[in-house]
Amino acid sequence: MPQQRFPKVEILNIAPHFIQFILSETDTSMANALRRIMIAEVPTLAIDLVEYAENSSVLNDEYIAHRLGLIPIRYTPEGSLKGGDCHAAFLPHRECVCFDRCVRCSVEFELDVNFDKVNSTRPDQERDLALTVTSRNLTSNNMLVAPAHFLNEEEQDESHDEGISIVKLGPGQHLKLKAIARMGISKEHAKWCPVAVATYRFWPIITINQEACNMLTLEQKQELVDACPDRILELDEITGNLVAVENAYEMATFTEDLKVAQNAMKKRPEDDDFVRVVQSTDRFVFSVESTGAMDAEEILMSALRVLKDRLNYLAAEVEKLKD
Amino acid sequence: MNAPERSAAFLLDDEEEKVEYQADTKVSNAGTFTFNKEDHTIANLLRMQLLRDPQVKFAGYMHPHPLVHKIHLKIQTTTSQVAPAETLSAAIEDLSNETDHLITQVTDAIDKWKRENDTGLMGM
Repeated sequence: MPQQRFPKVEILNIAPHFIQFILSETDTSMANALRRIMIAEVPTLAIDLVEYAENSSVLNDEYIAHRLGLIPIRYTPEGSLKGGDCHAAFLPHRECVCFDRCVRCSVEFELDVNFDKVNSTRPDQERDLALTVTSRNLTSNNMLVAPAHFLNEEEQDESHDEGISIVKLGPGQHLKLKAIARMGISKEHAKWCPVAVATYRFWPIITINQEACNMLTLEQKQELVDACPDRILELDEITGNLVAVENAYEMATFTEDLKVAQNAMKKRPEDDDFVRVVQSTDRFVFSVESTGAMDAEEILMSALRVLKDRLNYLAAEVEKLKD
Repeated sequence: MNAPERSAAFLLDDEEEKVEYQADTKVSNAGTFTFNKEDHTIANLLRMQLLRDPQVKFAGYMHPHPLVHKIHLKIQTTTSQVAPAETLSAAIEDLSNETDHLITQVTDAIDKWKRENDTGLMGM
Protein backbone atom coordinates (compact mmCIF):
# COMPACT_ATOMS: atom_id res chain seq x y z
CA MET A 1 0.00 0.00 0.00
CA PRO A 2 1.47 3.36 -0.95
CA GLN A 3 1.11 5.19 2.34
CA GLN A 4 2.70 2.58 4.53
CA ARG A 5 5.68 3.56 6.63
CA PHE A 6 8.59 1.31 7.56
CA PRO A 7 9.69 2.17 11.06
CA LYS A 8 13.09 1.24 12.43
CA VAL A 9 13.95 0.13 15.93
CA GLU A 10 17.31 0.29 17.64
CA ILE A 11 17.72 -1.06 21.14
CA LEU A 12 19.86 1.00 23.51
CA ASN A 13 19.60 -1.08 26.66
CA ILE A 14 17.72 -4.12 27.91
CA ALA A 15 17.50 -5.26 31.51
CA PRO A 16 14.83 -7.63 32.83
CA HIS A 17 12.84 -4.74 34.25
CA PHE A 18 13.85 -1.97 31.83
CA ILE A 19 14.15 -1.38 28.12
CA GLN A 20 15.32 1.70 26.26
CA PHE A 21 15.09 1.90 22.50
CA ILE A 22 14.92 4.32 19.58
CA LEU A 23 11.88 4.24 17.34
CA SER A 24 12.33 6.08 14.06
CA GLU A 25 10.74 6.70 10.66
CA THR A 26 7.26 6.83 12.06
CA ASP A 27 5.38 9.67 13.64
CA THR A 28 4.07 10.74 17.03
CA SER A 29 0.70 9.04 16.57
CA MET A 30 2.36 5.62 16.44
CA ALA A 31 4.74 6.43 19.29
CA ASN A 32 1.89 7.72 21.42
CA ALA A 33 -0.36 4.78 20.57
CA LEU A 34 2.39 2.40 21.68
CA ARG A 35 2.92 4.32 24.88
CA ARG A 36 -0.79 4.43 25.69
CA ILE A 37 -1.19 0.71 25.02
CA MET A 38 1.81 -0.18 27.19
CA ILE A 39 0.30 1.79 30.04
CA ALA A 40 -3.38 0.93 29.68
CA GLU A 41 -4.08 -2.13 27.56
CA VAL A 42 -1.44 -4.81 28.08
CA PRO A 43 -3.10 -7.69 29.96
CA THR A 44 -1.53 -8.87 33.19
CA LEU A 45 -2.56 -10.90 36.23
CA ALA A 46 -3.57 -9.34 39.52
CA ILE A 47 -5.54 -10.45 42.56
CA ASP A 48 -9.17 -9.54 42.01
CA LEU A 49 -11.17 -11.41 44.63
CA VAL A 50 -10.33 -12.25 48.23
CA GLU A 51 -12.19 -14.72 50.45
CA TYR A 52 -11.45 -14.48 54.16
CA ALA A 53 -11.51 -17.35 56.60
CA GLU A 54 -9.86 -15.43 59.39
CA ASN A 55 -8.68 -11.84 59.86
CA SER A 56 -7.83 -10.64 63.32
CA SER A 57 -5.08 -8.30 62.16
CA VAL A 58 -5.11 -4.54 62.67
CA LEU A 59 -6.11 -3.87 59.03
CA ASN A 60 -9.64 -4.54 57.87
CA ASP A 61 -10.59 -6.94 55.07
CA GLU A 62 -10.92 -4.50 52.20
CA TYR A 63 -7.69 -2.71 53.12
CA ILE A 64 -5.80 -5.98 52.92
CA ALA A 65 -7.62 -6.91 49.70
CA HIS A 66 -6.56 -3.58 48.19
CA ARG A 67 -2.94 -4.23 49.10
CA LEU A 68 -3.09 -7.77 47.73
CA GLY A 69 -4.44 -6.44 44.44
CA LEU A 70 -1.46 -4.16 43.98
CA ILE A 71 1.08 -6.97 44.29
CA PRO A 72 2.58 -7.64 40.82
CA ILE A 73 1.89 -11.23 39.78
CA ARG A 74 4.42 -12.84 37.50
CA TYR A 75 3.65 -15.52 34.93
CA THR A 76 6.67 -17.46 33.71
CA PRO A 77 5.95 -19.75 30.76
CA GLU A 78 7.33 -23.31 30.77
CA GLY A 79 11.03 -23.51 30.11
CA SER A 80 11.67 -19.79 30.45
CA LEU A 81 12.84 -17.59 33.29
CA LYS A 82 11.29 -14.42 31.94
CA GLY A 83 8.14 -12.78 33.19
CA GLY A 84 6.04 -13.46 30.12
CA ASP A 85 2.86 -12.45 28.42
CA CYS A 86 -0.08 -14.15 30.08
CA HIS A 87 -2.72 -13.48 27.45
CA ALA A 88 -2.18 -16.82 25.70
CA ALA A 89 -2.20 -18.85 28.90
CA PHE A 90 -5.36 -17.44 30.43
CA LEU A 91 -8.83 -16.43 29.32
CA PRO A 92 -10.40 -13.19 30.47
CA HIS A 93 -12.76 -14.36 33.20
CA ARG A 94 -15.76 -12.74 31.52
CA GLU A 95 -15.23 -14.90 28.46
CA CYS A 96 -14.55 -18.13 30.29
CA VAL A 97 -17.31 -20.73 30.03
CA CYS A 98 -16.82 -22.02 33.56
CA PHE A 99 -19.45 -21.42 36.20
CA ASP A 100 -17.52 -19.29 38.66
CA ARG A 101 -13.80 -19.73 38.16
CA CYS A 102 -11.41 -22.38 36.90
CA VAL A 103 -7.73 -22.91 36.21
CA ARG A 104 -8.20 -21.59 32.71
CA CYS A 105 -9.22 -18.11 33.77
CA SER A 106 -7.83 -17.61 37.26
CA VAL A 107 -5.08 -18.46 39.71
CA GLU A 108 -5.76 -19.15 43.38
CA PHE A 109 -3.42 -18.04 46.11
CA GLU A 110 -3.63 -19.13 49.71
CA LEU A 111 -2.29 -17.29 52.68
CA ASP A 112 -2.39 -18.64 56.21
CA VAL A 113 -0.26 -16.96 58.86
CA ASN A 114 -0.92 -17.46 62.54
CA PHE A 115 1.32 -15.38 64.78
CA ASP A 116 1.21 -17.80 67.68
CA LYS A 117 2.13 -20.79 65.53
CA VAL A 118 5.00 -18.97 63.85
CA ASN A 119 6.23 -17.39 67.07
CA SER A 120 7.27 -20.66 68.63
CA THR A 121 9.57 -21.42 65.72
CA ARG A 122 11.33 -18.06 65.65
CA PRO A 123 14.81 -17.47 67.05
CA ASP A 124 14.94 -15.94 70.53
CA GLN A 125 15.90 -12.39 69.59
CA GLU A 126 12.93 -12.13 67.22
CA ARG A 127 10.33 -13.70 69.44
CA ASP A 128 7.24 -11.64 70.24
CA LEU A 129 8.19 -8.93 67.76
CA ALA A 130 5.64 -7.97 65.09
CA LEU A 131 5.52 -10.53 62.32
CA THR A 132 5.32 -9.19 58.77
CA VAL A 133 3.06 -11.09 56.42
CA THR A 134 4.58 -10.68 52.98
CA SER A 135 3.94 -11.72 49.40
CA ARG A 136 6.23 -14.69 50.07
CA ASN A 137 3.47 -16.17 52.22
CA LEU A 138 1.19 -16.43 49.20
CA THR A 139 1.15 -19.97 47.79
CA SER A 140 -0.14 -20.43 44.30
CA ASN A 141 -2.11 -23.31 42.79
CA ASN A 142 -0.41 -22.73 39.44
CA MET A 143 3.31 -23.49 39.32
CA LEU A 144 3.94 -20.94 36.62
CA VAL A 145 2.37 -18.05 38.49
CA ALA A 146 3.78 -16.37 41.59
CA PRO A 147 4.08 -12.88 43.06
CA ALA A 148 6.95 -10.98 41.47
CA HIS A 149 10.07 -10.97 43.53
CA PHE A 150 13.53 -10.95 42.24
CA LEU A 151 14.81 -11.49 38.81
CA ASN A 152 16.90 -14.62 39.17
CA GLU A 153 18.08 -17.10 41.73
CA GLU A 154 21.37 -15.30 42.41
CA GLU A 155 19.81 -12.05 43.49
CA GLN A 156 17.20 -13.81 45.57
CA ASP A 157 19.72 -15.65 47.69
CA GLU A 158 21.94 -12.63 48.11
CA SER A 159 19.32 -10.08 48.91
CA HIS A 160 17.38 -11.84 51.70
CA ASP A 161 14.28 -10.38 50.12
CA GLU A 162 11.30 -10.93 52.37
CA GLY A 163 8.76 -9.98 49.73
CA ILE A 164 6.24 -7.18 49.58
CA SER A 165 4.84 -6.58 53.03
CA ILE A 166 1.07 -6.93 53.33
CA VAL A 167 0.28 -6.55 57.02
CA LYS A 168 2.04 -6.96 60.38
CA LEU A 169 0.68 -9.38 62.94
CA GLY A 170 1.00 -9.34 66.71
CA PRO A 171 0.33 -11.97 69.37
CA GLY A 172 -3.00 -13.72 68.99
CA GLN A 173 -3.56 -12.45 65.46
CA HIS A 174 -4.31 -14.74 62.58
CA LEU A 175 -4.75 -14.04 58.87
CA LYS A 176 -6.19 -16.71 56.64
CA LEU A 177 -7.48 -15.99 53.18
CA LYS A 178 -7.85 -17.22 49.64
CA ALA A 179 -7.03 -14.75 46.87
CA ILE A 180 -8.08 -15.23 43.28
CA ALA A 181 -6.02 -13.55 40.57
CA ARG A 182 -7.48 -12.79 37.17
CA MET A 183 -6.27 -11.34 33.92
CA GLY A 184 -7.22 -7.76 33.17
CA ILE A 185 -6.06 -4.46 31.74
CA SER A 186 -5.07 -1.22 33.39
CA LYS A 187 -8.09 0.59 31.95
CA GLU A 188 -10.18 -1.32 34.44
CA HIS A 189 -7.91 -0.81 37.45
CA ALA A 190 -4.34 0.43 37.84
CA LYS A 191 -3.33 -2.79 39.60
CA TRP A 192 -3.18 -4.43 36.20
CA CYS A 193 -0.66 -1.92 34.88
CA PRO A 194 2.53 -3.73 33.81
CA VAL A 195 4.71 -0.62 33.70
CA ALA A 196 5.97 1.76 36.31
CA VAL A 197 6.94 4.22 33.58
CA ALA A 198 6.48 4.10 29.83
CA THR A 199 7.60 7.28 28.21
CA TYR A 200 9.23 8.67 25.11
CA ARG A 201 11.26 11.76 24.34
CA PHE A 202 12.01 13.45 21.07
CA TRP A 203 15.40 13.01 19.50
CA PRO A 204 17.23 16.35 19.45
CA ILE A 205 18.45 17.59 16.07
CA ILE A 206 21.44 19.79 16.82
CA THR A 207 22.74 21.83 13.89
CA ILE A 208 25.86 23.88 14.47
CA ASN A 209 26.68 26.59 11.98
CA GLN A 210 30.49 26.28 11.99
CA GLU A 211 30.98 29.31 9.72
CA ALA A 212 29.13 31.56 12.11
CA CYS A 213 30.82 29.89 15.08
CA ASN A 214 34.25 30.65 13.69
CA MET A 215 33.52 34.29 14.25
CA LEU A 216 33.08 33.69 17.98
CA THR A 217 35.91 33.83 20.46
CA LEU A 218 36.75 30.83 22.63
CA GLU A 219 35.22 32.53 25.65
CA GLN A 220 31.99 33.13 23.77
CA LYS A 221 31.86 29.50 22.71
CA GLN A 222 32.44 28.42 26.31
CA GLU A 223 29.62 30.76 27.29
CA LEU A 224 27.31 28.94 24.91
CA VAL A 225 28.42 25.60 26.30
CA ASP A 226 27.65 26.77 29.81
CA ALA A 227 24.36 28.45 28.86
CA CYS A 228 22.61 25.14 28.31
CA PRO A 229 21.52 23.51 31.59
CA ASP A 230 21.43 20.11 29.89
CA ARG A 231 25.02 20.55 28.70
CA ILE A 232 24.38 19.17 25.26
CA LEU A 233 27.28 21.12 23.77
CA GLU A 234 30.99 20.87 24.35
CA LEU A 235 34.19 22.37 22.99
CA ASP A 236 36.30 20.03 20.90
CA GLU A 237 39.72 19.92 22.58
CA ILE A 238 41.80 19.94 19.44
CA THR A 239 39.99 22.24 17.06
CA GLY A 240 38.20 24.41 19.60
CA ASN A 241 34.95 24.01 17.67
CA LEU A 242 31.54 23.72 19.18
CA VAL A 243 30.28 20.17 18.94
CA ALA A 244 27.28 18.30 20.26
CA VAL A 245 27.90 15.88 23.08
CA GLU A 246 27.68 12.22 22.10
CA ASN A 247 24.78 11.29 24.35
CA ALA A 248 22.90 14.55 23.81
CA TYR A 249 19.70 12.60 23.30
CA GLU A 250 19.72 11.48 26.92
CA MET A 251 20.00 14.95 28.33
CA ALA A 252 18.22 17.29 25.94
CA THR A 253 15.13 18.88 27.39
CA PHE A 254 14.73 21.58 24.73
CA THR A 255 14.98 24.63 26.97
CA GLU A 256 15.22 28.09 25.46
CA ASP A 257 18.47 28.95 27.27
CA LEU A 258 20.67 28.48 24.22
CA LYS A 259 18.41 30.68 22.14
CA VAL A 260 18.47 33.45 24.71
CA ALA A 261 22.26 33.25 25.08
CA GLN A 262 22.71 33.40 21.33
CA ASN A 263 20.44 36.39 20.87
CA ALA A 264 22.62 38.28 23.29
CA MET A 265 25.71 37.33 21.30
CA LYS A 266 24.46 38.10 17.83
CA LYS A 267 25.51 41.35 16.20
CA ARG A 268 22.11 41.76 14.58
CA PRO A 269 18.92 39.89 15.51
CA GLU A 270 18.38 38.60 11.95
CA ASP A 271 21.76 36.85 11.85
CA ASP A 272 21.83 33.09 11.56
CA ASP A 273 21.86 31.05 14.71
CA PHE A 274 25.12 29.52 15.82
CA VAL A 275 23.41 26.46 17.25
CA ARG A 276 19.90 25.22 16.66
CA VAL A 277 18.29 22.52 18.74
CA VAL A 278 15.03 21.18 17.37
CA GLN A 279 12.81 18.24 18.34
CA SER A 280 12.72 15.55 15.71
CA THR A 281 9.24 14.73 14.42
CA ASP A 282 10.01 11.15 13.54
CA ARG A 283 12.61 9.84 15.97
CA PHE A 284 11.78 8.93 19.57
CA VAL A 285 13.68 7.55 22.53
CA PHE A 286 11.47 5.22 24.54
CA SER A 287 12.12 4.25 28.16
CA VAL A 288 9.95 1.50 29.61
CA GLU A 289 10.29 0.35 33.20
CA SER A 290 8.34 -2.69 34.37
CA THR A 291 6.82 -3.33 37.81
CA GLY A 292 8.17 -6.87 37.82
CA ALA A 293 5.08 -8.69 36.56
CA MET A 294 6.45 -8.91 33.03
CA ASP A 295 9.85 -8.35 31.50
CA ALA A 296 10.12 -5.01 29.74
CA GLU A 297 10.72 -6.52 26.31
CA GLU A 298 7.65 -8.73 26.80
CA ILE A 299 5.58 -5.65 27.56
CA LEU A 300 6.70 -4.08 24.30
CA MET A 301 5.91 -7.22 22.31
CA SER A 302 2.55 -7.55 24.02
CA ALA A 303 1.70 -3.92 23.26
CA LEU A 304 2.48 -4.44 19.58
CA ARG A 305 0.35 -7.58 19.56
CA VAL A 306 -2.55 -5.72 21.21
CA LEU A 307 -2.27 -2.96 18.61
CA LYS A 308 -2.22 -5.46 15.77
CA ASP A 309 -5.24 -7.36 17.10
CA ARG A 310 -7.15 -4.12 17.61
CA LEU A 311 -6.44 -2.99 14.04
CA ASN A 312 -7.49 -6.37 12.65
CA TYR A 313 -10.70 -6.25 14.65
CA LEU A 314 -11.49 -2.76 13.37
CA ALA A 315 -10.70 -3.79 9.81
CA ALA A 316 -13.24 -6.61 10.06
CA GLU A 317 -15.86 -4.30 11.57
CA VAL A 318 -15.38 -1.68 8.87
CA GLU A 319 -15.74 -4.40 6.23
CA LYS A 320 -19.11 -5.26 7.72
CA LEU A 321 -20.23 -1.66 7.21
CA LYS A 322 -19.45 -1.66 3.52
CA ASP A 323 -22.45 -3.80 2.56
CA MET B 1 -23.87 4.88 43.31
CA ASN B 2 -23.91 6.40 39.83
CA ALA B 3 -20.42 5.32 38.92
CA PRO B 4 -20.36 3.22 35.74
CA GLU B 5 -18.39 -0.01 35.64
CA ARG B 6 -14.78 0.64 34.68
CA SER B 7 -15.06 -2.14 32.13
CA ALA B 8 -17.66 -0.06 30.28
CA ALA B 9 -14.74 1.96 28.95
CA PHE B 10 -13.64 -0.85 26.68
CA LEU B 11 -16.33 -3.55 26.58
CA LEU B 12 -19.17 -3.10 24.12
CA ASP B 13 -22.65 -2.84 25.59
CA ASP B 14 -25.42 -5.21 24.53
CA GLU B 15 -26.70 -4.36 21.07
CA GLU B 16 -23.84 -1.94 20.50
CA GLU B 17 -21.81 -2.20 17.32
CA LYS B 18 -18.13 -1.36 17.28
CA VAL B 19 -18.32 0.92 14.24
CA GLU B 20 -21.23 2.95 12.91
CA TYR B 21 -21.39 5.19 9.86
CA GLN B 22 -23.39 8.26 9.10
CA ALA B 23 -23.06 9.82 5.65
CA ASP B 24 -22.89 13.60 5.71
CA THR B 25 -26.00 15.18 4.24
CA LYS B 26 -24.58 18.64 3.60
CA VAL B 27 -21.14 17.82 2.25
CA SER B 28 -20.46 15.56 -0.69
CA ASN B 29 -18.20 12.50 -0.39
CA ALA B 30 -18.08 12.80 3.39
CA GLY B 31 -19.21 10.76 6.35
CA THR B 32 -18.64 10.25 10.04
CA PHE B 33 -17.60 6.95 11.57
CA THR B 34 -18.42 6.37 15.22
CA PHE B 35 -16.13 3.95 17.05
CA ASN B 36 -17.68 2.71 20.27
CA LYS B 37 -15.52 2.02 23.31
CA GLU B 38 -12.39 3.46 21.74
CA ASP B 39 -10.16 6.37 22.68
CA HIS B 40 -7.36 8.59 21.42
CA THR B 41 -5.00 5.66 21.10
CA ILE B 42 -6.52 4.33 17.91
CA ALA B 43 -8.35 7.49 16.79
CA ASN B 44 -5.22 9.63 16.48
CA LEU B 45 -3.38 6.80 14.77
CA LEU B 46 -6.14 6.43 12.15
CA ARG B 47 -6.51 10.16 11.63
CA MET B 48 -2.78 10.71 11.03
CA GLN B 49 -2.70 7.82 8.59
CA LEU B 50 -5.74 9.10 6.71
CA LEU B 51 -4.14 12.52 6.34
CA ARG B 52 -1.32 10.87 4.42
CA ASP B 53 -3.71 9.51 1.82
CA PRO B 54 -3.91 11.85 -1.23
CA GLN B 55 -7.50 10.79 -1.86
CA VAL B 56 -8.58 12.13 1.51
CA LYS B 57 -9.61 15.78 1.49
CA PHE B 58 -10.51 16.03 5.17
CA ALA B 59 -9.89 13.78 8.15
CA GLY B 60 -10.50 14.70 11.76
CA TYR B 61 -11.58 13.04 14.99
CA MET B 62 -13.45 14.08 18.12
CA HIS B 63 -13.83 12.60 21.55
CA PRO B 64 -17.02 14.50 22.46
CA HIS B 65 -17.05 13.78 26.18
CA PRO B 66 -14.45 12.12 28.39
CA LEU B 67 -17.09 10.11 30.23
CA VAL B 68 -18.71 8.77 27.08
CA HIS B 69 -16.43 6.29 25.38
CA LYS B 70 -16.88 6.91 21.71
CA ILE B 71 -14.89 8.53 18.94
CA HIS B 72 -16.20 10.35 15.89
CA LEU B 73 -13.95 10.19 12.87
CA LYS B 74 -15.01 12.38 9.93
CA ILE B 75 -13.60 11.64 6.49
CA GLN B 76 -14.15 13.51 3.25
CA THR B 77 -12.69 12.14 0.03
CA THR B 78 -11.60 14.10 -3.02
CA THR B 79 -13.85 12.32 -5.52
CA SER B 80 -17.15 10.49 -5.41
CA GLN B 81 -15.43 7.42 -6.89
CA VAL B 82 -13.77 6.73 -3.56
CA ALA B 83 -15.97 6.09 -0.56
CA PRO B 84 -14.78 7.20 2.89
CA ALA B 85 -15.00 3.60 4.05
CA GLU B 86 -12.50 2.61 1.35
CA THR B 87 -9.93 5.11 2.55
CA LEU B 88 -10.51 4.01 6.12
CA SER B 89 -9.94 0.36 5.22
CA ALA B 90 -6.78 1.29 3.35
CA ALA B 91 -5.53 3.29 6.34
CA ILE B 92 -6.20 0.43 8.74
CA GLU B 93 -4.44 -2.00 6.43
CA ASP B 94 -1.40 0.26 6.13
CA LEU B 95 -1.23 0.59 9.90
CA SER B 96 -1.61 -3.14 10.34
CA ASN B 97 1.27 -3.76 7.93
CA GLU B 98 3.33 -1.13 9.71
CA THR B 99 2.68 -2.87 13.03
CA ASP B 100 3.72 -6.23 11.56
CA HIS B 101 6.88 -4.60 10.27
CA LEU B 102 7.50 -3.13 13.72
CA ILE B 103 7.06 -6.53 15.35
CA THR B 104 9.75 -8.08 13.16
CA GLN B 105 11.99 -5.05 13.64
CA VAL B 106 11.69 -5.23 17.41
CA THR B 107 12.29 -8.98 17.53
CA ASP B 108 15.36 -8.64 15.32
CA ALA B 109 16.65 -5.65 17.29
CA ILE B 110 16.27 -7.53 20.58
CA ASP B 111 18.04 -10.62 19.21
CA LYS B 112 20.81 -8.45 17.81
CA TRP B 113 21.29 -6.65 21.12
CA LYS B 114 21.34 -9.92 23.03
CA ARG B 115 23.97 -11.38 20.73
CA GLU B 116 26.14 -8.30 20.96
CA ASN B 117 25.75 -7.96 24.72
CA ASP B 118 25.84 -11.58 25.73
CA THR B 119 23.83 -11.73 28.93
CA GLY B 120 23.57 -15.50 29.30
CA LEU B 121 22.19 -15.13 32.82
CA MET B 122 18.60 -14.34 32.05
CA GLY B 123 17.80 -17.42 30.06
CA MET B 124 15.72 -17.48 26.90
